[in-house]
Amino acid sequence: MNSSNTNNGQSNNGKSSRLDGINRDLGLYFLELSRLRSSAAPTEMEEDEEEAPKELNTINSSGGFLVVAPDKLSVKYTTVNLHGHDVGVVQANKPAPVKRLLYYFEIYVKDAGAKGQIAIGFTNEGFKMRRQPGWEVNSCGYHGDDGLLYRGQGKGDAFGPTYTTGDTVGGGINYASQEFFFTKNGVLVGTVCKEKEMKGRLFPTIAVHSQNEEVHVNFGQKKFAFDLKEYEAQERLKRQMTIEKISLPPNISYGLVRSYLLHYGYEDTLNSFDLASKSTIPPVYIAQENGFDEQDIGYALNQRKILRQLIRNGEIDAAISKLRDWYPQIVQVGALEEAVKYGRIELAKFFRLAGFDDLVQDCVALLAYEHPQESCVGYLLEESQRDLVADTVNAMILSTNPNTQDMEGCLQSYLERLLRQLTACCLERRSANGEQGEAFLLRRVL
Amino acid sequence: MSLFWIVIRRLAEIEERMATSKKVITREEWEKRLNDVKIRKEDMNKLVMNFLVTEGYVEAAEKFRMESGTEPDIDLATISDRMAVKKAVQCGNVEDAIEKVNDLNPEILDTNPQLFFHLQQQRLIELIRNGKIEEALEFAQEELAPRGEENQTFLEELERTVSLLAFEDVSNCPLGELLDISQRLKTASEVNAAILTSQSHEKDPKLPSLLKMLIWAQNQLDEKAAYPRINNLSNATLEDPTV
Repeated sequence: MNSSNTNNGQSNNGKSSRLDGINRDLGLYFLELSRLRSSAAPTEMEEDEEEAPKELNTINSSGGFLVVAPDKLSVKYTTVNLHGHDVGVVQANKPAPVKRLLYYFEIYVKDAGAKGQIAIGFTNEGFKMRRQPGWEVNSCGYHGDDGLLYRGQGKGDAFGPTYTTGDTVGGGINYASQEFFFTKNGVLVGTVCKEKEMKGRLFPTIAVHSQNEEVHVNFGQKKFAFDLKEYEAQERLKRQMTIEKISLPPNISYGLVRSYLLHYGYEDTLNSFDLASKSTIPPVYIAQENGFDEQDIGYALNQRKILRQLIRNGEIDAAISKLRDWYPQIVQVGALEEAVKYGRIELAKFFRLAGFDDLVQDCVALLAYEHPQESCVGYLLEESQRDLVADTVNAMILSTNPNTQDMEGCLQSYLERLLRQLTACCLERRSANGEQGEAFLLRRVL
Repeated sequence: MSLFWIVIRRLAEIEERMATSKKVITREEWEKRLNDVKIRKEDMNKLVMNFLVTEGYVEAAEKFRMESGTEPDIDLATISDRMAVKKAVQCGNVEDAIEKVNDLNPEILDTNPQLFFHLQQQRLIELIRNGKIEEALEFAQEELAPRGEENQTFLEELERTVSLLAFEDVSNCPLGELLDISQRLKTASEVNAAILTSQSHEKDPKLPSLLKMLIWAQNQLDEKAAYPRINNLSNATLEDPTV
C-alpha cells in the first residue's frame, strides 16, 4: 500500500495534491497551535511589559529652580520666581503607558507657598523645562492658581476650581475617548479632548513656581483619592451600552453555536441541542433558513465524533485502526520513511523557519507509526495535547469531503473566523490610534 | 493670476483627499493578520458552554461537558430548575411558576417588586384569556390594586390590563398585544434573568455581545481604513475592500 507522494506539488492525481494541501496547511496550523500553547499571546505579554512611571525624573528637570526629595516623589520650589521662564518643572521617569484604557496619577499640595502657582498635566519628551505645562505646544496643564486648563498656549480655558494647600489633584488620560481628565479631592473636575498633536509619548508632569511651594506625587504607590476603578468601570459601561444597542440578525448566536458543534464533531451535544430547540418557545428556526450552509460541515459527523472520543480517551490504537478503515488516504502506516521524507521536503519548502520542521514532521509522522505511543512523537498523545490531535484529525477528515472548497473551512469554524476578525479589527484600530488603548482579548471577556 | 488660483485650489483638493483618504489593506495582508491572531480552543469552548448554560440547554451542556471536557461556569442542576420556571410562564402557568421560584429562592420575588408585579399581571391576563371574568376582577382587586397604589407605573399597567375586560372580542382589540404570546415570553425572560442574577451569574450569554462588538469594531475601523469586511455573520466570509 505504497502511495507515492514524493512529488513536488505537481501531482498526477487529485488525491495527491489534496494531501499536499492538507499537510501544508496542517503543518502551519499545528505550528501556530503549539506556539500558542507554549507561550502567552503577544498582546498579553506586552500589556505586562509596558513600564509605568514610578518616580520623578531628576535628570531632566529644571534643576536650578526646584529641589526633588531623595525619594523622588516630591518637589519644592527653592527660589523666588521672577518671570515666566523660571518655572520648576519635573516629569515622571517614564512616559504614561498607552496599551490600556486609562492612565492616572495624583499630586498632593503640601504647601501652596507664596502664590499657589502649581500645575499638573502632561508634556512630551522635548518639553522646555522652565515653562508651566500647558504654556507650550504638546503639553497640557491644570493650574492651581487660576483653575484654568492650558493647552499649548499662554492663554488658558475655564475648566474647574482652583486648588491649594491640602488638596489632592489628579490628572489622567482616557485612551478610548482620547481625552484628558482631571480630578480634585476625589471628584472629577472635567475632561478635554486630547488633540491630535499630542500624540507620542506623554510624561506625567508637575510644576511649582513660587517660593516654598511643595508638592507630593503619587504614581499609584498609595491609594488614590479618586476612585479610578469606578471611573474605569463607568467608561467601559458607556461603551458597552453603545455596543448593546446594535441589532443582530435573528437566531445568529444559535446558528453559530450549532455550526461550531457540527464543525468539531460534537454530535451528542448537537443532538441534545436540536432536541431542546424544537421545544423552545418560540421555536428556533432551522439554521438553513438563516443562511447557514451546513451540507459540508455535517460531513462524516458520526465518524468524527467517534474518533474524537477515542483520542481524548487515549485510545490511539483504536483511533488509528478506525482511521485506516474509513480514511486510508490519510493514514500512511508502513510508509513511515516516505511520510517523514515527504514531510521534510514539502513542508520545509513552505516554512523558511528553521527549528520548527521537527514539530511539523512529528505530527505528520504520528499517524504513520504502528505504535505511536512508543514513538518519539508520543508526547503529542499526552492528555493536554489530545484535543490538539483530535482537532487535527477532525480537520483532515473534513478535508476529504469532495465538496470542500477551501482548507480554511476545515481548520476554522465560523465562530473562530468571527473572533479573529474582531481581534484584527481592534488591533488595527489601535494601531491607527498610535498604539493607544486596549487590545481585544477573548480571555478578558470570559 | 487665475492660473495661480487654479493651482492653489488643486493643491487644497489634493490635501483634503490625502487627509481623509483611508489606509488600504489588501486581502493578502489582512489574511496574514488574521492568521497571526491567537484564539484558543478552550476559550471558544467556554464561550459555547456559557451560551448553553445561560440559555438553559441543560442536557446539551451536560453532553458538551463530556464531549469537550469544558466545565460549566454554573451548577447544571440549577439550570433545570430555572428552565422549569421559564417554561411554566411560557405556557401560561403563572401560579406554578411563582411557586417554583419561591422554592428555588424566596428572596427573588421579595427583592424584585417589578418582577412580582409582572407575574401577577400575567396571571390576570391568563384569567381574562380563559374567560374567567369574575375571578379576574376579584384577583385584580385583591392582589393587584394594592400594588397599583404603591406605584404609578404599576397602576397604569394595571389599568391597561383591566381594560381588556371592556372588550367583547378580546383577541381583536387594540390591547391585543397583552394577550399575545410575546407578552408571556417577555415575562418569562424577566424571571429567567432575575434567577440568574440571584445566582450571581450574568443574565445574558457572552456570544451575542461579542458579535455586536465585531459589528461595532468594523464600523469604527471603516473610518480609518479600507479592509476586507465580514458582512454576513452566518458564514463569516471576507469581502474584499472596495477601493
